[in-house]
Amino acid sequence: MTSDSSTFDLRQGATLLRGESEEIARWIGRGESKQLWFCLAAVFAGAGLFGAALGEWRSPLQALYGGIKFPLVILLTTAGTTLLNGMLAPLLGLNLRFRQSLLVILFSHTIVAIIVGGFSPILLFVIGNAPPVQASSSASWTGHGVVLLIEVGLIAFAGVLANVRLRQLLDRLSGHPRVSKRIMLTWLAANLLLGAQISWLLRPFVGSPGLPVEFLRADAFQGNFYEAVFHALKNLLHS
Amino acid sequence: MNESSSIPPLTNPTIPGISRETHQPDPPLGGLESDRQPIASLITAIEAALREPRRLLFQLTQPNQGRLACNLLFVSLLSAFIYGLVAGTFSGGGQLLAAPVKIAGGLLLTAVICLPSLYIFTCLSGSRARLGEVCGLLAAFLALMTILLIGFAPVAWVFSQSTGSVAAMGGLHLIFWFVATGFGLRLLERGLHHHGAQGGMMRIWTILFLLVALQMTTALRPLVGTAPTLLPVTKEFFLAHWMESFQ
Repeated sequence: MTSDSSTFDLRQGATLLRGESEEIARWIGRGESKQLWFCLAAVFAGAGLFGAALGEWRSPLQALYGGIKFPLVILLTTAGTTLLNGMLAPLLGLNLRFRQSLLVILFSHTIVAIIVGGFSPILLFVIGNAPPVQASSSASWTGHGVVLLIEVGLIAFAGVLANVRLRQLLDRLSGHPRVSKRIMLTWLAANLLLGAQISWLLRPFVGSPGLPVEFLRADAFQGNFYEAVFHALKNLLHS
Repeated sequence: MNESSSIPPLTNPTIPGISRETHQPDPPLGGLESDRQPIASLITAIEAALREPRRLLFQLTQPNQGRLACNLLFVSLLSAFIYGLVAGTFSGGGQLLAAPVKIAGGLLLTAVICLPSLYIFTCLSGSRARLGEVCGLLAAFLALMTILLIGFAPVAWVFSQSTGSVAAMGGLHLIFWFVATGFGLRLLERGLHHHGAQGGMMRIWTILFLLVALQMTTALRPLVGTAPTLLPVTKEFFLAHWMESFQ
């Protein structure tokens, strides 16, 4: 791809998906802003479509909320860990500038967004065939469970593929598999730590049948993801 | 960035953990004289899909591939409509129109739903096919699948006239469709292989396509048999619907 391709050239997405590490390394080296704008647009479009498809099961309003919130999870997580990840990379053996480490992480998140966005027509079709929401009906809870499982499955699938591509890119940039493995695992831990909490704060995405449709839950900023997991495990062990 | 004297040579990396398929050596597309003969008409396109897949796949990479892709899509919709007509003869009446429209429309809708994920999976598998070329390959897949269904149509018609069991007829149509889809997928896979696709990523897309198509048959029911309404009023997953039908 030549450097005079437009900012929103879709072939950039294909390059990311194929994992053409040499071309991607050139983008990082050139430091142009058009890849940054492309990634932002792809995240909004792909993750937005996916979030909207998830919320559509509950109601069109939940779809609108999901379309706004899902890209925010990705972008807020990226923004929140940029400083930390930018510092860790040179400490662990890869001398990237902050802008370059931001781009590398954003590329992997863009891959996730493109994959989940590409699956959103299928997700919407499955949701269209699921039992509709009727308050307090067992069929509604079954449908809710199915949508949650599909959501987790798709995100896990996209996440694994994106991390495979990230590892390949880091291998190319560092030339040392041990360095790239350390950096990838460290970045992953930081992103998962913050990403889980941001997802918790911005819930709901699917929308529970027994609760009203809301942009954020009333108790969004009371408690955190890890506390909730801890209490759930405690209750499970004591039941 | 680090300087390294041992940076590995550039290849499009495959997703690890998935075994590479082995293929018989195949000259590159366009390498044979027959590949380069243009496909000008619908009949030639049908012949090429059945007898000269290399020619079809090569012509889908040429500058005027859009017209060929449209012809293939038209062939697939027409063939699906004709097969739907045969399926509709089981019940007769309104099904003679409803079944062909639903089968052709459902096929088109399934293809549209699965196209974005097809393009993503082709990229993930290392293929350099452009979106337009992927659309052409999808059209070729649908065309071959539905052309083969036309081949099954006389058999389906005979059974339609000689059995009254909706479940049996539905099962038979599914078997014919699975066989036809298998051949179509083989053509698609071959086309993507020539564009550089490697590994087993396309198998995942195949499973998705089959699931969406099977669910579409339930979403648009009845295709075989009759019902008070043109489209179903209750939503059901296809496995639940099959279990009900076989009881």
